[in-house]
Parts: sequence; structure tokens; C-alpha cells
Amino acid sequence: MSLWVDRFRPRTLDDLHYHEGLSARLKSLAASGDFPHMLFYGPSGAGKKTRISCTLRQLFGTGVEKLKIDQRVFISPSKRKLEINIVQSNFHIEITPSEAGNYDRVVIQELLKEIAQTQQVDLNAKQRFKVVIINEADSLSRDAQAALRRTMEKYMSNMRIILCANSTSRLIAPIKSRCLLMRVAAPTPEEMQTVLEHVAKKLKFDLPPEASQQIAEDSGGNMRKALLVFEALKMQSPDLSGPLSIAKPDWETYCHKVADLIVQEQTPARVMEVRAKFYELLSHCIPPTVILKTVAERVVERVDESLKADIMHWAAFYECRMRMGNKKIYHLEAWVVKVMSLYKHFVYNFDMSEFE
Amino acid sequence: MAPKKLRTAKLDLSSAAEPPTKKLRPSNPPIFDLSTSQPRSQPQPQPTKRTDVKGKGKGKATQLPEDGSDDEDDRLWVDKYEPTVEADLAVHKRKVEDVRRWLIEAFDGGKLRKYRRILALTGPAGTAKTTTIRVLARELGFEILEWRNSMSDRGGPGDGLGFGDDSGGGGGEALFDKFQAFLTRASACHNVFSSNTNTDAPGPSQSQPQSQPRPTPTQASNTPMQTQTHPNSHRHIILLEDLPNLLHLPTQARFHTALAALCAPSSPTPAPPPIVLIISDSGLRGEDDTDAWDGRWQRKTLEVLDVRNVLGPELLGGPYVTRIGFNPIAPTLMTKALQALLAAHASPVPRDVLDIIVGSSNGDIRSAVMALQFACVAALPASRAKVKSKKSRAGGGAGGGGGSARAVLEAVTRREQSLVLFHLMGRVLYNKRKNDPPSSHLSTKDAAKEREADAQLADPPRLPEWLAQHERRASRVCVETLVADSPIDASLFGLYIHQNYTQFCEDVDECAGVCEGLSWVDWIGGHHSTPTPHAFPTLALSTLHALPSPVARRSQKVCKPAWFGVRRAEGEACEGVGDVMEWLASEGGGVGGLAPSGWSHATIATELGGWLRAVASQPQPSSHPPRSHRLFSHLPWTSGVGGGGEVLEEDEEGAGEDEEDGNVGVRGRGEEREGGAGWWAEEDDIEDVE
Repeated sequence: MSLWVDRFRPRTLDDLHYHEGLSARLKSLAASGDFPHMLFYGPSGAGKKTRISCTLRQLFGTGVEKLKIDQRVFISPSKRKLEINIVQSNFHIEITPSEAGNYDRVVIQELLKEIAQTQQVDLNAKQRFKVVIINEADSLSRDAQAALRRTMEKYMSNMRIILCANSTSRLIAPIKSRCLLMRVAAPTPEEMQTVLEHVAKKLKFDLPPEASQQIAEDSGGNMRKALLVFEALKMQSPDLSGPLSIAKPDWETYCHKVADLIVQEQTPARVMEVRAKFYELLSHCIPPTVILKTVAERVVERVDESLKADIMHWAAFYECRMRMGNKKIYHLEAWVVKVMSLYKHFVYNFDMSEFE
Repeated sequence: MAPKKLRTAKLDLSSAAEPPTKKLRPSNPPIFDLSTSQPRSQPQPQPTKRTDVKGKGKGKATQLPEDGSDDEDDRLWVDKYEPTVEADLAVHKRKVEDVRRWLIEAFDGGKLRKYRRILALTGPAGTAKTTTIRVLARELGFEILEWRNSMSDRGGPGDGLGFGDDSGGGGGEALFDKFQAFLTRASACHNVFSSNTNTDAPGPSQSQPQSQPRPTPTQASNTPMQTQTHPNSHRHIILLEDLPNLLHLPTQARFHTALAALCAPSSPTPAPPPIVLIISDSGLRGEDDTDAWDGRWQRKTLEVLDVRNVLGPELLGGPYVTRIGFNPIAPTLMTKALQALLAAHASPVPRDVLDIIVGSSNGDIRSAVMALQFACVAALPASRAKVKSKKSRAGGGAGGGGGSARAVLEAVTRREQSLVLFHLMGRVLYNKRKNDPPSSHLSTKDAAKEREADAQLADPPRLPEWLAQHERRASRVCVETLVADSPIDASLFGLYIHQNYTQFCEDVDECAGVCEGLSWVDWIGGHHSTPTPHAFPTLALSTLHALPSPVARRSQKVCKPAWFGVRRAEGEACEGVGDVMEWLASEGGGVGGLAPSGWSHATIATELGGWLRAVASQPQPSSHPPRSHRLFSHLPWTSGVGGGGEVLEEDEEGAGEDEEDGNVGVRGRGEEREGGAGWWAEEDDIEDVE
């Protein structure tokens, strides 16, 4: 009994509910015989991976759904062992190099070289090339991206690369220019509602339009999130009627409370408290950038107009440092302190001017 | 190879086997004039036992080599005056008692016996861990079977070729095989040596002839096993001090299995001897091998050897392991021990020299004895000119009082870790500047000294008007000395500052300065494989610049960074995420092959929470995600504002008590006293009075 998200994931390009234009293009591209390297990008939960797997199926047929998971061991230059999980079929291979942390270059190089040097042996294969899917391509290190760039040119004859990323801004230009860029935009609430209704129909129950609307609006264009919320709601109140309380994940409410802490009081003791909360969030595997973003958005909601730009500026500033640096907590906290200081001075000056 | 090994075990030759050190007797008369008094003070050689106690009750027991009195100087005092009875030990009585009780229970403890399998003695270097065991061995009458990794054994002394397989590359493995063989033999075959001792070589001269009739070719080489016999002893312990290379993970795993096997209650009926592990604390690094939070889905590798990875979590949490931590030796106890030693030597050393030695040793008695020996042999300049030694470290410390003797002594005896972490943090966080009002606990004399030191500090040039907010008085902290003396690297220093700075700030703006510094250094600091040398001074300077001056004294407690605990918790949560990921993949497989899943670690951690909670709230859940998901999905808000503070407090205390990943004695023991000895365990100090 798998999650609805996985269970009702479209398998073919024809099954896709939205972005029909994109689907049609992908279909004709797959039929055209030649196939470029591709870069799918778009927000989380927009359906990038679904589209990739549909495209693969279009390219190779159902054989591509016979998957196996391998664990490959790579040796880093410093003789450390890296264990990477690889999902593959006869026609493609899927990796998430960011699992290797700093050593993603090794993984990319070794793996791509290996694949590129073996020809497709299956005579019934529809295509002569294999496809390599690289997930979370935007978290690839510069080294790995540079390695990728050379490989993409060199082994074009029997390999195609499909990159999957949230944003193109963290990819180096040479890679972007070697790929066909495919933007998968987040679905509109109406499109999401269609999907939700489709799922309800498959499961043979009735979904009140208010409920689907509420779910669609709440999930902010994230289809996966919408389906998860839908399933959770269905579990909690089977008839889905009445006012629905869409429960946010724990960490999100937690982040909001942290934001409240920041706005309420600006003292060193409070800094300490906020830090404890950050530690708690980090130890629950919430990515620090997500924490920073969520907290910052909430803080911005609660402060005066004139402060908003500054707060976001510093959030961006410290996020950049966080990516370069090592200990994320320093940067999170530096941002908090900065915001506290800004806010405090703002309130203080405001009071003064009123007083005079 | 196994029988060969057995033969290579030799009897107590520690004195004879000592490599001859260079003559220490100076040609010119030393300042402390030992040479004349020495012959008198030494007891006549008595080769039978090592337990000759000096006439003076508290005196150091000595053991002398068999031959002439001329050789007696050859040995270091550390070996020469190694305590042999408990009264000589500078260890706190209660600690000795703890160890003794454990040993007694291990030998004939009745019910408790089966749980007294492994004793782990931990503590900084030079706190008499090994000596305590040796003393108790003598007192309780048991043998010590000790494992030694010996380099010359690599090729295996028993192999026909001798050096043939040295280049095989499998040295570590082979060595571990030997270790395992040693453990099995040591736990299985009892009393071979002691019975030999009793039957073959009775009489006072037992030890010397015992080694002669063994014609093994490896006799002269380092032997992997050394026994210290005690006549009529039928009991022994296995002492593991020199451990196999546990940083090598497979070796570590095998080590754990070997130990666990020895602990198992199903051991053969004559229960194997108890094992004593001695683990000296080593420094800790704040760096991770993986790129901290980025390589978060990677298992982290070992870097530091401490009791947790030596024993492994299962053993350490199990009933078979007892852990006794040794504290650094209290200055009073050490002074007493050193005085006793000097009395044995009949060489007067001025009290202030002794104080310097004790003070600079940081509770390490080995280094203190070394320093003392050095002080007694070196011809120190007798003049006590009031030279302002440049060692008035970083403003404030011991003041400028000492003469050149002090300078020489300190320069020589000062160890790398001389500025203990606690003092380092105090020095930075209290941010003392020129003309600070003297703190209340200072005597007038000290306050005068402080003023004198202040007068030496040059005022910084005035800043232009537009930089006026950066105007500070001259700092009493000299960052250069701080860097030179620091026992920790920049990243750990950063963690400590980060953990503690808020208590020392009055205002968020000051916090902002410190935080900005931390963030900047972390950002600029580069990868840990190529650390920038500027990180530490920059961090210190930025912190000093940002902190208020003077810092309000609220009896702040310096705490250990909670960061390590968080890292560990995060690692566990990541495994939880991995479990859920696998589960999702397998569930998807139910439909038709493995579904191409769109799940990444981050999406599971951030988006699956609500669904998991809904599943958990179902009375009859239709699916069963792995329970470990709670590690990342369950995040309750600890009630209210006050609760948040408490939670952290608890974390810090917990980290302190557990010695989780922490470093030497920073456990928030009250306020720093300058140059004082505030960081030893108080119980030790109390006991001194007796």
C-alpha cells in the first residue's frame, strides 16, 4: 500500500494532467530519433521527475520500468569510501551525486566514463544511447559541474544526460548551454484540483470542491505536497466535509514560532533560545536553507514595511555564506542577530521620533 | 606462531630493559646541589622487590637497578620514583578506592563478578592511570598481562622468513590477529608464568635469571606481551593501553567483537581475567571530515580515539563495562608528591620553583616530575633579577613577578596545552582591557600588579571621528600569545565562542558583532583540508572587538558546544530518513516493479511529516512506515519561552556530565580565576586538607 503520490504517478506522457504543450513536445522529441541532453528545472513538486520518467518510457518503452537498485562504492582521492545508491534499468541510470558530498566529482567522472564506454548491447533497444539522470543537479559542486561539462561533449555518441534541478542559477553556463532547457512550472490551483479529482475518482470516492480548492491553495503549487495533504486528510476525516484543518508539518509550525521569538524580544538570552530551536530543527534533518527561508518569510510578515527589504537582503547574504561555509548554525544565527538588531533599532528610533 | 608468542613473554624486566638514557649528572655543580646528597638518600640496592619504601613515611618508594650506584642517574625520575604503594600515589584516594573496589569485585565479587569484565580508565595524560593499576596490582597481588603493539613484530617473529611479509600491506590485519591471539591466550591459559616463577626461580633473584634461560631469538626485540609477575599470584588482569589501530574501521569492529566475546556470560568456566583499558584523552577537533551539513547523508569517519569509539556504544552501554575517569592531579596533591620526591632526593628546591612546575604542568604529574628533574640538573642562573619576563602571558596571568629562573623553567616546561581551554575562553570572553576596575576577588597586591601590567600596554592610536564607534581601550589580551598557546584549533575555538558568547553580551548589537565574526571566519576559512592560519586570530580579534568592555560578571558558566550533540542527533535522523526512503521504494514496488520514485532526502524530511503524523494517528494504520521516522518528523515545540531555555540548559549540562565529545576539563566550573587553579574538580581540593 504505497502513498497516493507514488501510486497515481502518471506513467506515460499521455497520462499527464497539465503542461500539455510540454508533453507534446517531449513526445515528438522522443520520436524524432535524436535526442539532446536535457535540463529539467522548476520548483519542487511541479512534476519534473514524473516527466522525466514518462519521457524515458516514451523513448525506450516499458523496459525502462524494470528497475534495480545497486550500491556502488567509489574511492575518493583521499581513499575514503563513498557508497552511492544507483537506480538503473537496462536503458538508463539514475544517480544523486549530492549524496557524495564534496566528492561528487569522483562519482560523476567514474560513473559517466563507465557508462559512456559501454555500448548498448540490447539489439531490441529503441535507441542506441543510454540515459543518465542526475538528480539535484543544482547541488553539484563546481568541480563536478566542470567534469560533467567535458563528459557531455566527449561521450555524446552513446549517452544522453538528463539533469534535474530546482533552479538553473547554480549551474555553470557551459552546462546550461549544452542542454535543452525544460522548465516545468508549478501547476495552477485549477490544474492541481483536476489532479486531485482524478485521484479521488480512481479511488472511487467523492471529493467536495471546497476541499480540493483548499488543499490546492494551501500547497502552493507543490503537487506532491497537495497529494500528501489530501491523503492525510482523507485518513483523518474520511468524508472530507466541513472545515478542514490542514496540518502543517511540525517543522513548519516550529519555524513560525521561531520567527515569533525573534520579533518578540531582542536580547542575548533570546538569541540563545533561538539557537536552541535552530539546533532542534537542524537535528531533524531540515535543510538549513529551508529553515532560513521559512523563518525569514514569517518574520517579514510580521515587521514594518520599511524593514522587509533589509531582512530579505540579509537572509540572502547569509544564505550565500552558508553555502560557502562549513557550520550552518553560525550563519543562521548571524542572520537572526542581524534582524534583531535591525528591528530593535527600528522600534527604538520610531519611539524616539514619536516622542519628540 | 602461537606457541612462539608465549615464549616471548618475559618477566618483569622493566628496570633492566630500560634503555640507558643519557647521563643526567651535570658536570658543573647544579644549582640545587643534588649530587652531594644523592648517595646518602638512596637506599642500598635490593633487587628483590620494588616496594622499598623510604624511611620517611610519605616518601617516594624507589627501585634501583641491580648494579652499581653510578647508573642510578641514568633513569628518569618518572621511572625511578614511580610510586609503588598507594600512599605515594598523587591520585585522589576516592579514585584509587573506586578502582580497588572494582578489582576486588572482579576477582571475588560474588554476584557482581560477572559484570566486572571491563574497566575503562579515562583521563588526561599524566594522571597516574597506569600507575594506579600497577600499584594496586602489587597491593592486591595480581599479575598484569599487557599488550604491546610492537613495530618489530610486524613481520611476525615466528615466521620462518622473519621479515618476508612486512611489505605485504596486510600489516594491520596481521597485527590484529596477534592481538586476538593474545587476548584468547591471556584469557584462557592461566598462571603459566606465575607458576614458572614459583617453581623455577625461587628466592630473591628471581627476575634476573628467569629471562636468561630462554634462548628465543626474539628475546631482545620488543615483545608483544609483557607480564609483571607477582609471586604466589593466581589472578591476573589484562591491561590494554597500547591499542590496535582503532581508527581503521574494520579493525575497530573486530576489536569490539573480540571484547564483546570476552564479556559474554557464556565464557568458559574459569572466567577470563578482567580487562583494564587505559584511554588517555586526546584533543578534539571541531572539524568534520565530511563537509558538515552538506555531506549530511554520509556516515562520518572517526578522527579521535576516545572511550566511546574504543569500546563502542553497545559495550559502553552494557553492564560489563565500568568507566572511571581520572581528573588532572590537583595542585596541592601534586605539590605534596613532588615535595616527597624531593625529600627522597634530599634536594631542596625553592618553593616558588616548585609552584611554577606544578602550575605549568596542568595536572600532569609525569610532566611535572620531568620538569622537576630538569630543574634539578640544569644550572639555572642564580640571579633573581626582576626581569620583566615576556611570559606575562596575554595580560593578566601570573603577573610579572618571576625572575629568569622562572623564565627558563617556564620556557622549558610549558607544554603545548599550557593555556587550557577554560582559561583560553575566560581570557577571550571576559575581554579585559586596560584600566578595567580590578575584580573583587583580587588582593590589593594583585591589583597593583595588574595596574603595573596596564602601564606597559600602549594605547592604540585615536581613531578618526567617523570610526569612533570602533574606539576601544587597549586590550590586555595579546592575540599572538593566545594563538601560540591555544590548545585547540580555530574551528573548535569558534564553536566554543559561539556556544558561550551570548552570556557575555549585554545587547544584541554586541551579539551581532561576534556572530558576524563567526560567520565571516567560517565563510572565509576555506576547506578544512587547507585551513587558513588567519582564522584563529581573526576570530579572537573580532570577538574581543565586539564584546562589551568591561564584561559584566554574572558568574557565567562556560559550556561545551552543543553542536556535537546536534550533529549526532542529525546523523541519527538522517538514518531515519534513509529508512523511510527505503520503505517508500519497497512499498512502491508492490504495484509493479520499483516505481521511479520522486523522493529525495530533503523532500522526505520536509514534506512527508504531515502524512506520517496522519498515519500514526490512525487506529488501524494501513501502512507501517519504519518507526525511525519520528527522529525527523516529530518536532514538538517545547512549551513556551522558558521551556526553550531550559532545554538548551539541559543539553549543555548533559553534554558536560557525559563528557560527550567534549574536551579537557571545561565543565563550567564556575568563574575563571586568573592564573588560579579553578578548573580542577573541587573534590580533589577538599581532600588536600587532610
